[in-house]
Amino acid sequence: MSQRTMVVDLDRCIGCKSCEVACKQENGVILGCTWNKVLTVGPTGTYPNIQMYYLPTMCQECKEAQCVKVCPTGASYKGEDGTVLIDKEKCIGCRYCMMACPYGVRTFNEETKVVEKCTLCTQLQAVGEQPACVKNCPAGCRFVGDIDDPNSEVAKVIQKAGNENVHVLPDVGNRPSARYILHSKTATWKE
Amino acid sequence: MSIQWPLVFFTLFIGLGCGTFVSSVILTEWYGKAKQIRTISSILAIVSIGVGGMSSTLHLGHPERMFGALGHPTSGIFMESTMSFLLGLTIVVYLLALRRNASDATCKMIGTIGAVLAVGLAFVNGDAYVMASIPAWNTWILPVLYVASAAVMGCFSIDMLLVRSEDADITTLAKVNRVTLIALIIQAILIVAYLVHIAIAPYPDVTRSVTRVLAGNLAILFWGGMVLLGLVVPTALVTKFSRKNNAPLTSVKFGLVSVLVAGVAFRALMFLMGSSIKQFF
Ligand code: SF4
Ligand code: SF4
Ligand code: SF4
Repeated sequence: MSQRTMVVDLDRCIGCKSCEVACKQENGVILGCTWNKVLTVGPTGTYPNIQMYYLPTMCQECKEAQCVKVCPTGASYKGEDGTVLIDKEKCIGCRYCMMACPYGVRTFNEETKVVEKCTLCTQLQAVGEQPACVKNCPAGCRFVGDIDDPNSEVAKVIQKAGNENVHVLPDVGNRPSARYILHSKTATWKE
Repeated sequence: MSIQWPLVFFTLFIGLGCGTFVSSVILTEWYGKAKQIRTISSILAIVSIGVGGMSSTLHLGHPERMFGALGHPTSGIFMESTMSFLLGLTIVVYLLALRRNASDATCKMIGTIGAVLAVGLAFVNGDAYVMASIPAWNTWILPVLYVASAAVMGCFSIDMLLVRSEDADITTLAKVNRVTLIALIIQAILIVAYLVHIAIAPYPDVTRSVTRVLAGNLAILFWGGMVLLGLVVPTALVTKFSRKNNAPLTSVKFGLVSVLVAGVAFRALMFLMGSSIKQFF
């Protein structure tokens, strides 16, 4: 089984939010909707031992995607490459998937009355290009590919970082596939 | 999460309808009392379920695509819609049977099928919210609380119909009062159990904390809505009815409104505590 997903190297992220802007522009994400958002974690600690890091957030491309499981119409589905997608023609706008997602990374479009989320820019990947956020990240900290393929770039990046520096969001049975790289010399990963 | 009003009224009216029908079937078909309220209680139940169903469609961005849900029978929405439809259908059949003076056994059988469906529907209403992504909802106590809420609303609605009907006898009223009191006690226990769940749920967060419920910005909904209007007022009324051996219609109506408002408060509070493990956007 292949699982296309995103890996973000937080050691390199400078919190510029270029990825947020690029995503909005490429996908025509309307005002009030978000597919990709850069959060600031911290600062924590007391001077002079203060830590802070940026956390770009988006769909975690779960292997057991709860959003897909609860969708009553099959509008939310898992593509062949493992990407979780939404068929907007089938979506009834019940927002049940938004409740089932443990990370709140789906968004309801008030104009079209359907739910949206990061698609890993399937339209760009189909023509051999990288997703907009990956292409436009000035720090080169975003990677996309099949995490189940040991020869893929994402697999190599996380292998190089080492297990102890690779982090994942809380898993409540949804098995998120996205990974974050953060070395303790940069900051301590916050659950 | 913000309060999803169409869903609040969906489950409130479904709860009222289910509670009314079940109470009516138990009282009239199982105990053979107050048969005069069978038709009116069934009409009230089906109207209430209809209003609830219509309210739920207001939540949907594209209700016209709803039939797409027929292909996924395991989803909560499919279960809720199918059970609402089946219950509505059963109540119609029951009403027809009453109209055609069907035998007691037939009416009892149809009524019992409807009552089982109604309990199931009230449960499924709450069960649809049980999910690992939302710690404050991830407990079986929630659907049981939906059933208890439906039971309390049903008891008051039956009480109102009984008091309204001229020939209600004192012993029947006393029985309904006793059952209402039991339902209120069960509801109180469940509310405490639910608070315990919130306190020990994993991934604690201020948005779903007991402090927020008891002393924060949800306190008014909890103490004013769920406790005062949902427990104290109805308990005081029922106790007074039992002691004085009568129940003035205005007081019963007041009790019904009180538990309905408490039902809204409970559902609103549930949504306001419904934050995901991580709420990034
Ligand atoms: S992160 Fe949320 S939206 Fe994305 S696949 Fe997982 S459950 Fe679905
Ligand atoms: S809002 Fe659309 S994608 Fe989400 S569960 Fe409902 S039908 Fe499926
Ligand atoms: S574009 Fe890259 S560096 Fe900038 S915020 Fe996004 S991930 Fe971080």
